Amino acid sequence: MRNWIPDRYRELRSLVKRDSIDEDVGEELEHHIAMRTEENIAAGMSPEEARAAALRRFGDVERFRRETREIDRRMRRRRWRGATWQALGRELRQSLRLLRRHPSFAAIAGLTLALGIGAFTSIFAVLDSVVLRPLPYPDSERLVWLDSPVPGVAPEAVWGLSVAGYFYLKDENRTFGALGAYSRTRTNLAGVGGVARVDVAAVTAGVLDALRARPQLGRSIVDEDDDPGAERVAVLAHEFWTREYGADPEVLGRTIELDAVAYRVVGVMEPGFRLLDDPFDAWIPLQLDRDARPVNAHWLSGVGRLRDGVSLEEAQADLARLTGQFSEVFPGAYQESFMRGAGFTTRVTPLRARVVGDIDRVLWILFASVGLVLLIAGANVTNLFLVRSETRRRELALRSALGAERLHIAWHYFTESLVLCLGAGVLAFGLAYGALELLLALAPPELPRLTEIELDPRAILFSGGVALGAAAFLALFPLGRRLDYEALRESGRGMTASRRRHAIRHGIVVGQIALALVLLVAAGLMLRSFQRLREVNPGFEAANVLTFEVALPTARYGSYEEVVGFYRALLAGIEGLPGVRQAGATEALPLQDRHACALVFVEERPPEPDKKYPCIPKALVSPGYFGALGIPLLTGRELEWGDVERRTGAVVVTRALADRMWPGADPLGKGIRPNGWGEPFYRVVGVTDDLRADGFDRPPIEAVYFPPLPLEGAPLWSPPRRMAVAVKTQTANPTSLTPAIRRVLAELDPDVPLANLKTMGRVVSDSPSMLRTSFLMSLLGIAGGLALTLSVVGLYGVVSYVVRQREGEIGVRMALGARVEQVVGMILKGSLRLALIGVALGVLAALALSRLLSSLLFDVSPTDPVTLIGVSLLLLALSLAASYKPASRAARVDPTETLRVE
Amino acid sequence: MDHGPNPRLDLMQGTLDLLILKALAWEPRHGYGIARWLEETTDDALGVEEGSLYPALHRMAERGWVKAEWGRSENNRRAKYYSLTVEGRRQLGVEMSNWLRFVEAMGKVLEARPAVPLVAER
Repeated sequence: MRNWIPDRYRELRSLVKRDSIDEDVGEELEHHIAMRTEENIAAGMSPEEARAAALRRFGDVERFRRETREIDRRMRRRRWRGATWQALGRELRQSLRLLRRHPSFAAIAGLTLALGIGAFTSIFAVLDSVVLRPLPYPDSERLVWLDSPVPGVAPEAVWGLSVAGYFYLKDENRTFGALGAYSRTRTNLAGVGGVARVDVAAVTAGVLDALRARPQLGRSIVDEDDDPGAERVAVLAHEFWTREYGADPEVLGRTIELDAVAYRVVGVMEPGFRLLDDPFDAWIPLQLDRDARPVNAHWLSGVGRLRDGVSLEEAQADLARLTGQFSEVFPGAYQESFMRGAGFTTRVTPLRARVVGDIDRVLWILFASVGLVLLIAGANVTNLFLVRSETRRRELALRSALGAERLHIAWHYFTESLVLCLGAGVLAFGLAYGALELLLALAPPELPRLTEIELDPRAILFSGGVALGAAAFLALFPLGRRLDYEALRESGRGMTASRRRHAIRHGIVVGQIALALVLLVAAGLMLRSFQRLREVNPGFEAANVLTFEVALPTARYGSYEEVVGFYRALLAGIEGLPGVRQAGATEALPLQDRHACALVFVEERPPEPDKKYPCIPKALVSPGYFGALGIPLLTGRELEWGDVERRTGAVVVTRALADRMWPGADPLGKGIRPNGWGEPFYRVVGVTDDLRADGFDRPPIEAVYFPPLPLEGAPLWSPPRRMAVAVKTQTANPTSLTPAIRRVLAELDPDVPLANLKTMGRVVSDSPSMLRTSFLMSLLGIAGGLALTLSVVGLYGVVSYVVRQREGEIGVRMALGARVEQVVGMILKGSLRLALIGVALGVLAALALSRLLSSLLFDVSPTDPVTLIGVSLLLLALSLAASYKPASRAARVDPTETLRVE
Repeated sequence: MDHGPNPRLDLMQGTLDLLILKALAWEPRHGYGIARWLEETTDDALGVEEGSLYPALHRMAERGWVKAEWGRSENNRRAKYYSLTVEGRRQLGVEMSNWLRFVEAMGKVLEARPAVPLVAER
């Protein structure tokens, strides 16, 4: 076995030297011809004659040479292949035998690597699925998102497209292959076993064209469907069709009723098709009216596909040119002054950036952190290999003295670590699979492309590659110092193992501690952020509150009076239930719904032309809403049904708005109105305390809460058909009231479904800032925990090894009178020094790196001293604890025993 | 060399292997040695194109019937010597008995007489 590498070597040389077979065959044939020629000469021919006759007798030399050569080449290929597999098999079998003989080494090393690779692979799978892979549309890199930033209105304000603007851009652009607009609605679907709320996208044909949507059945939405007045058709999502219609192909041609309007089903989309990242249940034509008023209502989402060869910048320039013409084309709606003041333009963003958003930062941070875990795991295994190779040094030095080639020994190491790493890779794959399940359970539902996340072949290849890389590294790492013949001369129990080898091991431990500290600091910072977020007073009380949504179909609830009548009856019915304290309704539930916004003017300040006014968040709310959600009023009172009946025009504003509109003055009784300035004005009757409706990490909002019925002469927008209802109950388990609430609703109108039922506590924990922080905190916590465990185990291993190596020395010291405490102290001091260096390096690294986290932190500095000091102390304490056991073993060394051995 | 007065016989398919095996039955030979032995033994009656020996030899080496070793030939040239392996010797036995059975059968056919004497009946 020992000498197969040299054999391979020779064959390898003959394989590399391509003509060795040519030479051999040539020589053999030439020998034949030469012999025959000599014989002919002996028989009396002239040399030329003799050779010619020999060649004649031989036949076609070239042909025979070629045939013979081919046979030899074939033979050589077969032999090489056979021998290689045989040798590999032999080595693998030997490696397995070796690993079986050291089961604890194999188990610890394998498991450590598997943990590292598994964690790495699962996060890679998420990163790959969400960030790296293109969107699931053909040629998806040509897809863009269109919107209109208006920095002049508010720094981060972005509007959608207006109808007129959309048509102008669509007709006049020179850079788009397809351009469309859509708007999402949630509607009530009547038909299938009662009523259900469904997510519907109203689209122009251009949207589906741009996305290259293919129907699985029937047809997609086409241009003709888009004409106002055309027959209303619908295309169902595959998933919705399967869920609600049992994948019945007969659904084509059937009629479904959305909000009491009939639509004919003409197609079913292919499975998995999504519009951006939203799982719509159905698509209907938008049927935009070109002449709709107002011209400048920006409520459309724009999606386009760039023409081949057109760059993003060219498309951007094209749209900027067209947008610049708005003030000429729509002189009434887009005045020069507005365009300039608002900084109004049309922007194109790659669709992928729009879908993925800023989550990629979180994922890259997680990826880096599991990368650190993998490094730490790798360091542990490297240490294990080092320790073991020490014990095998003599064996290997002997082998090498006996003539084993360096390459052979490398190969031997490689197969051993290969077996181990591949085993770990397989295990890691299983772990990654489980970890991914856990991760998906933890992941915020807002995580884009959630349904696309999977352990795909790329992730499998990736973990395989990492395993192979680890195997190569582990094989080559000890090799550099492997073949010193000195090991033969060295006594096996030399008291001082070479300093250099200790230095490497200590370096590894120090590095591990430093890396673990970085990870723990990151996890600690997220934990502190999460605590801070939980401590924020949002301005409402989530406890014991149940929320749900109701949406009334326009066809049957046309007027304000009908809508308000319904909600008043609903709230009264719910308040009549036992266990209910108060109920109220709002168009914008904090943390869940975004407030719509409007220009709002106050009585004291008539609007000045050319002045920019911010768009103020607003919502229509029912009386009792502030009480039900526990939103305290600083001054005044909340809306009452009396206000609604008498149309007093009472409004409630938030403290932030009151402070800005009427600084230093009493806001009660002040006049305010939307949709133009002038009598009559709504009157402020109450001011709420600071309300953080946009997220715990966002500033308190400035908002106006209007009554559900407009004041005569001061129109609002449209009746509040869709509202979220908040029910304050007397129980900590408010969902127990669901059946009773459903009965109340069914008695009022059996065709209106109750949707999105949640406790307010759930709304809070599902809000993006909470979810992002808790997601990152949990995952960094897991990564940090792994890192901590692995590095403490690594330290323990090294200290144990050092103690074993130094047993002789310790025995001598004790024989010379050293006390037990001194010995223990010496060992502990040694490992404390390592831990201190590690912690110091880690703190430096954490200070440098934690800035990357700063945009994800809340109310915590990236260099938060409490976290840094806490984590450092934790690591030091655990390092000491890990060294205590080996140190106490050192104390039990029997001096007489060691001296006798010496 | 002249073909002499006797025209040379064409070699039948598949018999070349048998000739080579037989040529190696008593001692290792190089390719030219095999050719010379065949020439002498048959009085040069077989029309073997000498070059065709080599693909045949290498194929037999691939099958494991013969093995090759470089050595020195009579006039101190480097030459490749072939010898029979155990497997090759077995193969020689098999092919020889096949061939003899074939010859016997062919002989019977060629020497056959009509079963009934051909007598003209007038």
